[in-house]
Amino acid sequence: MRTLVFIPAWNEEASVAAVIADVRRELPRTDILVVDDGSIDATTARARECGVLVATLPFNQGLGAALQTGYLYALREGYDFCAHLDADGQHPPAEVARLLAEVEADRADLVIGSRYRDPDAEASADDYRPTLSRRIGTGVFRFFLTLATRQRFTDTTSGMRAANRRVMSLFSENYSPDFAEIESLQLAVREGLRVEEVPVRMLERAGGSSFLTPLRSAFFIFKGVVVLLVGQFRPRRHAEAER
Amino acid sequence: MSLPFAADATQVHLTSQTRVVAAVIAIFFMLLILELIRRDRLQERYSVIWFVAGLGMLAGAAFPGLLELVADLMGVRDTNVALFSIVLLLLLGLALNFSVIMSRQAAQITRLAQERAIEKARAQAAEAHNGNGSSGEQPLEPEEERLQG
Repeated sequence: MRTLVFIPAWNEEASVAAVIADVRRELPRTDILVVDDGSIDATTARARECGVLVATLPFNQGLGAALQTGYLYALREGYDFCAHLDADGQHPPAEVARLLAEVEADRADLVIGSRYRDPDAEASADDYRPTLSRRIGTGVFRFFLTLATRQRFTDTTSGMRAANRRVMSLFSENYSPDFAEIESLQLAVREGLRVEEVPVRMLERAGGSSFLTPLRSAFFIFKGVVVLLVGQFRPRRHAEAER
Repeated sequence: MSLPFAADATQVHLTSQTRVVAAVIAIFFMLLILELIRRDRLQERYSVIWFVAGLGMLAGAAFPGLLELVADLMGVRDTNVALFSIVLLLLLGLALNFSVIMSRQAAQITRLAQERAIEKARAQAAEAHNGNGSSGEQPLEPEEERLQG
């Protein structure tokens, strides 16, 4: 059984090496691929120094295209399972291992790590705390995605996921470059795949900064709602027939 | 009060001057299209739509009755207004057409970038496998892309 962990990275030279080291320690039996989304800094060089595979996109294509590159690579190279996590150090690889365990046990086709963790778990100082605009956006997306999929999701924009080959073949064909996270969830549910959410611990980012300013957040939310609405009327594809 | 065709009362026709100007512009326009194709600045497949537009312009200038009929159908008294509306709609359609083409090409470019990134990663993997051997010349699977069509 072969597993690929891929890490989309855009200008993450400060944190990528540490993330790779973490993944190596926590998931020693997986292959690691860094997808460099056209960084203008030394992300590719840092990753290569660590001795992992690097797929460098010739220009910045957006997170969706970077993730799709990872799914495509996993599919082509015949991996049984794949997982991805952010390169900024927010996602502890130990939690990724828990997501992978779910798909390996065939309890789900796609597993999402939700940062909105168990309310009964005890909090620690470096835990993730969302900002106000993030909380509003989360609420809106949660509402509309739940409406669209009739399934409860708490963390719609999580970039920590694990998947099997069914998901790889779906996502390597259809993955919106603009609005990757939410639309992909909707798509997977519509195609009849089993999507599961697992509460995980996330940390404050180690390097880089969030791209979300209030105005951008508003636009992001608006775009997301439109995307979800349009997605409801898309023709269904093939995945359902495969099962 | 209510007229089936608002244009019935006093119709405003195209003057012969407008017709001549329109015909001349249409002919120059089509010549420009031909010249662009000849110099390989415009691909044939994108020229058809422009050529049809030029022919339409010429037809409108040669047979003003055609335009007046359309103006009547639109319920527009002034034939010139009908003309402008038609042209506006045509341009809107063209702009949309280009957005569709652009989207398709953006998807193709993305896939091309992904394929190249994957090939590089594969070459790197092959190189590591051969212990920094001769080269990363590994035959790649002929993956026919599903983006076309």
